[in-house]
Amino acid sequence: MATFFGEVLSVYSRAVEEDDEDLDDENEDEQIHRAIEEKREVHIAWCPEVAQSLEGKLQCSELIIAVGTNAAGFLSAYVLNTESWDAVGHASLWNERSRGSSRQSIAPLPGEPACLFYRHRDNPAVLVCQSTCYIAEDQLFQWTEKVFGCLQKRGLSVMVLSDSPVAEYKTPDYLYGSAVPFLRSLKSSASKSQALCPALEQPNILTGLPAAVLSHCQVHQIPAVLYQCYTDVISPDSITMETYKPALLCLSKLVKLEPCLSADVLRKFAIITEAQSNLYT
Amino acid sequence: MAMSYDRAITVFSPDGHLFQVDYAQEAVKKGSTAVGVRGKNVVVLGVEKKIVAKLQEDRTVRKICSLDDNVFMAFAGLTADARIIVNRARVECQSHRLTVEDPATVEYITRYISSIKQRYTQSNGRRPFGISSLIVGFDFDGTPHLYQTDPSGTYHAWKANAIGRSAKTVREFLEKNYKEDMESDTDTIKLAIRALLEVVQSGGKNIELAIMKRDESMKMLAQEEIEEYVTAIETEKQKKT
Repeated sequence: MATFFGEVLSVYSRAVEEDDEDLDDENEDEQIHRAIEEKREVHIAWCPEVAQSLEGKLQCSELIIAVGTNAAGFLSAYVLNTESWDAVGHASLWNERSRGSSRQSIAPLPGEPACLFYRHRDNPAVLVCQSTCYIAEDQLFQWTEKVFGCLQKRGLSVMVLSDSPVAEYKTPDYLYGSAVPFLRSLKSSASKSQALCPALEQPNILTGLPAAVLSHCQVHQIPAVLYQCYTDVISPDSITMETYKPALLCLSKLVKLEPCLSADVLRKFAIITEAQSNLYT
Repeated sequence: MAMSYDRAITVFSPDGHLFQVDYAQEAVKKGSTAVGVRGKNVVVLGVEKKIVAKLQEDRTVRKICSLDDNVFMAFAGLTADARIIVNRARVECQSHRLTVEDPATVEYITRYISSIKQRYTQSNGRRPFGISSLIVGFDFDGTPHLYQTDPSGTYHAWKANAIGRSAKTVREFLEKNYKEDMESDTDTIKLAIRALLEVVQSGGKNIELAIMKRDESMKMLAQEEIEEYVTAIETEKQKKT
């Protein structure tokens, strides 16, 4: 087709059958799609003993998922700080914001954004997942299916702790400084337990991994409760981590916890980031 | 709700808010706490020391700056904005001395700083300054003053006040414990330290204090002196309980 400006464009006509050369283009497209899909696949790597017992499904009565640095820091300080937890697996994935998949078989380095699984030594039915890496929207479903696919659904109960910036909290009232950080909860309909804080009000919504997990639990009728902490601090902060303390009440029935001694550990997480920021004095 | 009216500083929302100014107040809350107390014969500014990186020279991380021989201030919020304001105020203090042959009063320099801040809330293409400041000093007639400014460009005189993170908690403490016309310098200093200890983690070693007595220049208290006051405060507390 000749255009007004004198250039010649090749235009495809649907009335005419396509030539063989175009099939190569299509194959190329397919190849590219496949390569992208493979690259973006979510891999869950379990340690050998867990991988063996996965011939059936993993016995799990309580799954605690922490999404975000403050939630993960809270679990590290109050729960994982005792010596009775074993690292049993990790999820590795690649997306534009989390480029970790070059080391699929090797566990992530400490301090790197990652998705790690821990199991309690004395009570192996309790699993903890700390997710500090970004999981893209197209990977959320895969992550949820693969993780829950390894767990036995009967008797499973899920708790999710998630961070969110308070700027995304929609309310008609003005939020005074002293109210922040605060918790809001959301439950699946199968959950009969009492939530320890007010429910998340409309029109606020959850997004990302917490939403994917809660949706999965709702669809499969797994009792699940989520605690969303709204905070005005971007980096890990000890006050924000302490806001998750009410969740300890549920956990303490299952495993031994450190109730108060970890304030220094909390501060260690916070201090690392505070010293690096010279923006505010 | 607020979304379409909060991007430009020069636009009011239908209910009369300048959202950029409100948001600038949030930036102030990101800074560490500063407290100011005005006594009869001494003015005190205390700040929570910022945690400094290992390789950083900590004497370059200062929250308390002197503006002239008779005025000094502490700020909370964006460090770079504070530097600009402090520099302009220092120049204005000298300009005042040269023009009028007298040191600027505390109120004069506070008004100058506030006018700069207000100007930045009314021109487009600029954002408000993200700092609040506590300005203390003595006028040449010997009257002590404490003023507080905020990003909107307002200023008010206070007997005692706090800015920055946890300012509300500290202010409530000051309201309960401030006594009019504190004669004793020690009591004024102790009040500032006690107020800071309410919110500062790990006690005296994270506090920096500056005082100015009438007809004297500003003095930054040494760490040992602060520790002495902290010990005295703790002893008094134990005696009460």
